Amino acid sequence: MTVADDGDVIEQEIRVAAPPEAVFPYFTDPDKMRHWSGVDHELEARPGGVYHVDMGGGHVIRGAFVEVAPPHRVSFTWGWEGEDQVVPPGSSTVEVTLVPDGEGTIVRLVHRGLPAAAAPMHRAGWTHYLARLAVAGTGEDPGPDPGIGAG
Amino acid sequence: MDAALRAIAEPHRRQILRLVADEELSAGDIAAHFALSRPAVSQHLRVLVEAGLLDQRREATRIIYRARPEGLDEVRSYLDTFWSTGLRRLRLAAESEQRAGDGAGGSRPAPRATTPSTARVGRETGATRKGDDRGRRR
Repeated sequence: MTVADDGDVIEQEIRVAAPPEAVFPYFTDPDKMRHWSGVDHELEARPGGVYHVDMGGGHVIRGAFVEVAPPHRVSFTWGWEGEDQVVPPGSSTVEVTLVPDGEGTIVRLVHRGLPAAAAPMHRAGWTHYLARLAVAGTGEDPGPDPGIGAG
Repeated sequence: MDAALRAIAEPHRRQILRLVADEELSAGDIAAHFALSRPAVSQHLRVLVEAGLLDQRREATRIIYRARPEGLDEVRSYLDTFWSTGLRRLRLAAESEQRAGDGAGGSRPAPRATTPSTARVGRETGATRKGDDRGRRR
């Protein structure tokens, strides 16, 4: 079974005007992460290390780092603490890839393994990429991939 | 939203949704995939229908089920927003830090909307202090 058969996938991409070396710690260093996500953190940036982000309001994200390869790649499992959570800890995985882009960085985030009836989303995803393949097949540049989530 | 989130928090119910994502199935067809009692399966089906995640229709003496995936759109859009909002904040923070660093190094001017030097110094010392006190503590 592929991952895509097992749940929904969210993809996000954004360009940051800073090099990967400067962007990477925002996913691994509590002092950086608090500028964009969560109010309290416990981050052990090594494979198997704790990924714990308290979002406030009783929403706590818990997971474990899977891969820590500065400055280009970091992945971690992701889920909400508590009983009967839609996305329990360990059930989904977030992969972050940092690609140099001039003096900046393309940050690509893929969140896999989300629970979903899924089939329609898979179709949307495939439609998105098949359309891009079609363009690429004509020799034209399909342009930077905005990701499925970007529409 | 809450009903849908609670409904899909249960693994059997997620499995039911996957079974009927692409094809319609009767309650009996669905129950055949599980080692659960029929009443237990029926209970799961009822929760899913009430949460707006399953459509049901009667065909002769059977009830046929099919996933109603738009019921899950809210989960997806919640997380979509969670990450897109987060990454925009990350960009602002990283670029602000980058400008501050460039400004100090003199390689690029650092246009800022508000009080450049004090904001920069304040944030950096604050971050350092936080790190010493509680960076890895919860």
